[in-house]
Amino acid sequence: MDPTVLQAGFDLLGDGRPETLWLGIGTLFMLVGTFYFIAKGWGVTDREAREYYAITILVPGIASAAYLSMFFGIGLAEVEVVGRGTLDIYYARYADWLFTTPLLLLDLALLAKVDRATTGTLIGVDALMIVTGLIGALSTTMLARYTWWLFSTIAFVFVLYYLLTSLRSAAKQRSEAVQSTFNTLTALVAVLWTAYPILWILGTEGAGVVGLGVETLAFMILDVTAKVGFGFVLLRSRAILGDTEAPEPSAGGPSAAD
Amino acid sequence: MTDDAHESVAVLNTTSVVGIAVCFVLAAVALFALPTLQSRGIGFTTAFWIVSAVELLTAFGIIYFIFNLHEEHE
Repeated sequence: MDPTVLQAGFDLLGDGRPETLWLGIGTLFMLVGTFYFIAKGWGVTDREAREYYAITILVPGIASAAYLSMFFGIGLAEVEVVGRGTLDIYYARYADWLFTTPLLLLDLALLAKVDRATTGTLIGVDALMIVTGLIGALSTTMLARYTWWLFSTIAFVFVLYYLLTSLRSAAKQRSEAVQSTFNTLTALVAVLWTAYPILWILGTEGAGVVGLGVETLAFMILDVTAKVGFGFVLLRSRAILGDTEAPEPSAGGPSAAD
Repeated sequence: MTDDAHESVAVLNTTSVVGIAVCFVLAAVALFALPTLQSRGIGFTTAFWIVSAVELLTAFGIIYFIFNLHEEHE
């Protein structure tokens, strides 16, 4: 694709927002993911599998609503920042993360079978990570924005720490299939979630190195992979299929991460 | 599924299913609610935090209902 087109996107609604192309594609991907997971989970009777399906359907379900609100410009606000002028902030993105990231972590906590105190701590730190990011997004000076970004990133490091220590050691007590799926999903979360603060600091809300078109496209790819991709790996794994379906070789093989 | 064999029968808890559905609808509606809140005289920042609180609380609600999604019957 022509880099200019990639930067600008395409103004689908004619309201001067070229990034609507990426927001529209994001909405479609999230909807497809939601309906695929609903169709795949229809008629599942296993107790634990039903819990995973319920969580994994809700994640792209809410994300599709968030993308739709951003697509129509409802989830968009303007923030006046000293020395930078007016910034377009897609606040629905943060609202979406407040809902979806705790549920993605719940999937991992259920997979590892950690106690509720550990799950609560993990989700509490995750909420802190998103809320501090939100405060940063609304801050009106660059110093305040970078400071809250740093707070949010430190909280993210703690989330990763919990995933790679408490949850990982708990997952090691479970079957080989569960360990394999847990390791794959944790690696996915670690890589993709690390890209978010980097993109934020480079994007329009941070240093402004990347324009809104590329930023929106990159967030869309990250969101779709971190939500639909995550669900796809989880729900096709032998850990979830159990004995009721033939295992998929892609996510059910011996763990490479151990 | 997975590691443990359960002899008891797990039955879906209807209250939890309804709770999850209500939380989902609330969370989805909240994503579109900010302009409506602002049109009723609420400032952007306050409206924004109301929407954010709804998202977080509905997520916690869903987590609670997921933990109680089934009832054990011997």
